[in-house]
Amino acid sequence: MTDATASQSAAAAASRSSLTQIDPRTKKRNAAEARFKLYGVVAILVGIFFLITLLTSILANGVGAFQQTFITVPVELLEEKLDKNGNRDPADLRKVSTFGYNPLIQQAIFDAATEAGIDMPFEKPGDMKALVSAGAAAQVRDTVLANPELIGQTVEFRFLAASRVDGYLKGRVTRDSIARDKNIDAEHLDLVDVFLGTGVVAKTFNMDFILGADASESRPEQAGIGVAMLGSFFMMLVVLGLSLPIGVAASIYLEEFAPKNRWTDLIEVNISNLAAVPSIVFGILGLAVFIQFAHLPQSAPIVGGLVLTLMTLPTIIISTRASLKSVPPSIRDAALGLGASKMQSVFHHVLPLAMPGILTGTIIGLAQALGETAPLLLIGMVGFIASNYPTGVASGFLDPNSAMPAQIYEWAKRADPAYYERAWGGIIILLVFLVTMNIIAIILRRRFERRW
Amino acid sequence: MYDTPTTEKNVNTATTKISARDVQVYYGDTHAIRDVSVDIEDKTVTAFIGPSGCGKSTFLRCINRMNDTIDVARIEGEIKIDGADIYDKKVDPVQLRAMVGMVFQKPNPFPKSIYDNIAYGPRIHGLAKNKAELDEIVEKSLRRGAIWDEVKDRLDAPGTGLSGGQQQRLCIARAVATEPQVLLMDEPCSALDPIATAQVEELIDELKQNFSVVIVTHSMQQAARVSQKTAFFHLGNLVEYGDTGDIFTNPKDKRTESYITGRIG
Repeated sequence: MTDATASQSAAAAASRSSLTQIDPRTKKRNAAEARFKLYGVVAILVGIFFLITLLTSILANGVGAFQQTFITVPVELLEEKLDKNGNRDPADLRKVSTFGYNPLIQQAIFDAATEAGIDMPFEKPGDMKALVSAGAAAQVRDTVLANPELIGQTVEFRFLAASRVDGYLKGRVTRDSIARDKNIDAEHLDLVDVFLGTGVVAKTFNMDFILGADASESRPEQAGIGVAMLGSFFMMLVVLGLSLPIGVAASIYLEEFAPKNRWTDLIEVNISNLAAVPSIVFGILGLAVFIQFAHLPQSAPIVGGLVLTLMTLPTIIISTRASLKSVPPSIRDAALGLGASKMQSVFHHVLPLAMPGILTGTIIGLAQALGETAPLLLIGMVGFIASNYPTGVASGFLDPNSAMPAQIYEWAKRADPAYYERAWGGIIILLVFLVTMNIIAIILRRRFERRW
Repeated sequence: MYDTPTTEKNVNTATTKISARDVQVYYGDTHAIRDVSVDIEDKTVTAFIGPSGCGKSTFLRCINRMNDTIDVARIEGEIKIDGADIYDKKVDPVQLRAMVGMVFQKPNPFPKSIYDNIAYGPRIHGLAKNKAELDEIVEKSLRRGAIWDEVKDRLDAPGTGLSGGQQQRLCIARAVATEPQVLLMDEPCSALDPIATAQVEELIDELKQNFSVVIVTHSMQQAARVSQKTAFFHLGNLVEYGDTGDIFTNPKDKRTESYITGRIG
């Protein structure tokens, strides 16, 4: 036994004595280190791979939503159809519904086809219905009602193409896929091919997707995320306006003024726990408190904002307290030592130093709130707003609205594959907002980071 | 200059500025300061020496009630400045601290301009009626802090950009800007190099003409160089208090002797 130990230690001593010879223990340690580094690299590579997959799939699926197919044709606004009495009386003009306008549009497209000398199997203008969006008639009607003097003239209009035509140009719809589709025939697609050459049909950037309102299930070509964006904007105003002052005040009190006792410990633990509460719980709380008890309007950004404020507060409080804690105590001592009151030392010295951290936390909290969907579904922030924008800031808070993530969810739910593309497009816009907010947070942190 | 016998520096007629009687400090269950009674003279530099953890800093922080900011700290006994009990219920610690300035171990200028560092105290106490007066206070304080010549051309530069020694003198200038009567210094030179230390010590010597200075130091040499009175603390007790010369040459207590000869601490 003793001999064995002795010989072992002798061997160890021998191996240690030579620097060029690496002993087995060192080899083992080096191998472990190399393995660990390898795991790390592999983990990062896997992460990067998933990130790239995610981004490419989002872009590949969503970019289409930013482009839309339009049909540009001159429409003859026949007086005998639109104003039989010929007196341009607005009341009479209103009596003509979109059904009265449809034939004009179909005729215009039919004429364009005949003019181009296209050999087509269609005989009546009504067959052109499949090409143009159902919203086209309303577009002409609105123009005519706004400018009655146009009646009798030929005016050039730019109509949204029907979603299947749009899908055909984007490769979503093929001749095979429409074999059993009653809405459109292969011949229509042939016509579109010719129209593409003559410039009647063209695919361009679609601003209406970014600024427009949602549309009904059968008109995906019309749907835009603009109104939902406004809804999100109003909600974020509520969240910022409430959670920043409340959160910062609460954290300053807890961190700087509150006595350290069992109560404050309890509050502290609960704030940390609140940050981990599933968002849907906040949603049902908001439903019960703000809508059922306080009778605030449903689907209104103010309610959504209040619910998201509840969700964001813990995040802001935690990050604010962390940044207050990171201010060196020597700064507080310096101010107190000069005869500054506690409040002065906090507001003159500690808070400015903690500001970048507070702002970063707030922006991250806001970004989190911006992307939150579940609580909005519970409080009905999925209002279907087809055309009317909220009229003013004040009414914007109380008007029913949707929010970007809720809108995306709605679109993803709908049956038409054109909406699937819209949903991805909406995600791109949402991500642009989130990335922008995070960049602002980083810039703020860099800009105001001070050394002491 | 450091060879001057310290006893000769003690030229002021002794009037008591701070008088402490039976001061006890508890941190939770720990009895940090026991029965400290001491009379600190006006316009004198008094040094508190002793091994680490002996309570000298704790006692110093009692004099401007900085211990109030520590939740678990509890103070008993009485400390009077000019005969007024500073732990009286009617005394606002904020007002007290304007009268009793403090310089800390680590230079802690505010991350603001040099000017704002000095002007902060006068501003919050309303010492200046207008900008011109404030400018005057800033210049006077920086001169008293023996740093005016180095920074007069860059008052807008951040105070944190100065060297360690300059920062500490800036902090001293900041402390004197509020016109305190007592200046407490908690190991003001422990973070400084020997040259900066020499400058600060010289400054302390000048400051005693206007203020009563109490300095906590780890360095016995420093205590011998700058102070006229020395108090030796050990394990929370004030062991010995007297003229600096006597303490260092003829200590009455065994523990003092052991400490200054390097056997304990």
